[in-house]
Amino acid sequence: MHYRFLLRAIVLAAALSSAMVAAHAFDESKYPDLKGMWRGTGGNKWTPAGQKAPLTPEYQAIYEANLADQAAGGHGTDPTYTCLPPGMPRQMNVYEPMEIVVTAGTTHLLMEHIHDSRRIYTDGRDWPEELEPAFRGHSIGKWIDADGDGRYDVLEVETRGVKGPRSFDSTGLPLHEDNQTIVKEQIYLEKANPNLLHDEITTIDHALTRPWTVMKNYRRVQTKEPIWWRESICAENNPHVRIGKDDYFVSFDGYLMPVRKDQAPPDLKYFKQSQK
Amino acid sequence: MQRELMRALIAGAFVATSSAAMAHHSAAMFDQENPIELVGTVKEFKFTNPHTFVLLEVKDSDGSVTVWTLEGGTPSSLTRDGWTNKSIKPGDEVKMTIAPLRSGAPGGSWSAEHTRFPDGKPIVLSH
Repeated sequence: MHYRFLLRAIVLAAALSSAMVAAHAFDESKYPDLKGMWRGTGGNKWTPAGQKAPLTPEYQAIYEANLADQAAGGHGTDPTYTCLPPGMPRQMNVYEPMEIVVTAGTTHLLMEHIHDSRRIYTDGRDWPEELEPAFRGHSIGKWIDADGDGRYDVLEVETRGVKGPRSFDSTGLPLHEDNQTIVKEQIYLEKANPNLLHDEITTIDHALTRPWTVMKNYRRVQTKEPIWWRESICAENNPHVRIGKDDYFVSFDGYLMPVRKDQAPPDLKYFKQSQK
Repeated sequence: MQRELMRALIAGAFVATSSAAMAHHSAAMFDQENPIELVGTVKEFKFTNPHTFVLLEVKDSDGSVTVWTLEGGTPSSLTRDGWTNKSIKPGDEVKMTIAPLRSGAPGGSWSAEHTRFPDGKPIVLSH
């Protein structure tokens, strides 16, 4: 009886001690203040003004065919219109406001859009042998004290294990269909303006001739009022549907409308009416 | 010639001020280079995700009424511009410059910037 009591006490003490170590391991003051609501600035096109995406000849041809399709009213290679998530790296356009929550082992980027929230693991883990593909991929990060002042100021992130279909943006700028994309990011506050956040995003993808770095910027919403976060459910009222190989727009009363000039209705070959 | 130039300028301004709202997916099915003006009665204002909708009853020249299904920005982006789910309501008369579906069907995309009351007054003060 006495032995059993002693054993329980040892187990409890061990549990409490490991919990206290975990609690002590996270010192919030060592991390940048990222609280609040962040909104993307500068639009949602991936290619910066005056630049050209470094696509391989094969993927340049795919992109141009996509542009021709879009000019006729189709969606080309932009897959998000059916509520598929944009995935990485496109979701860092931050289509809905972003909240950043830093914890001891994970930094969360919370975005109410189409399953755009990310977990960036900062617990020191390594890549496993295999990753189950996900539109947002899997992200491992490391907080860095770049200026040596004793506080972290840069979050370095690598993302792998991404699935498709994806494009860089709504122009249909393509990523390779092999989905071997690797995304490297450096996320940091502007030193002179703590309400401006930068994400330097380098995409390594077989659709590109070289790693391609693009800067995305986010501004912290300035308000003295409490922030209420809005939900965003893409399936709630999405009128864009794909049937067979064609796209349609659903009218207010639930009927299909064509999106292209002279577009044919869908094939009804599986609809067989009983003879009366 | 001058009329074509004016039309091109109006279309250019329309594209420049309307594209941001639609940017999470391609807006290619909407003909932004050839916007049209609709004056009608709001049947319903859907303040929903992923897009807001205005269902607008427009009287045709023969007296019949067509309901236009008009897709707009997200509630989040409209809220930032001062809109709420009560900014327009069924029965309101509005004038909208929209980008119609390329097919000619009664659908299109609307934007807060190009939606006014018939007398030209903005729906919310920020526009």
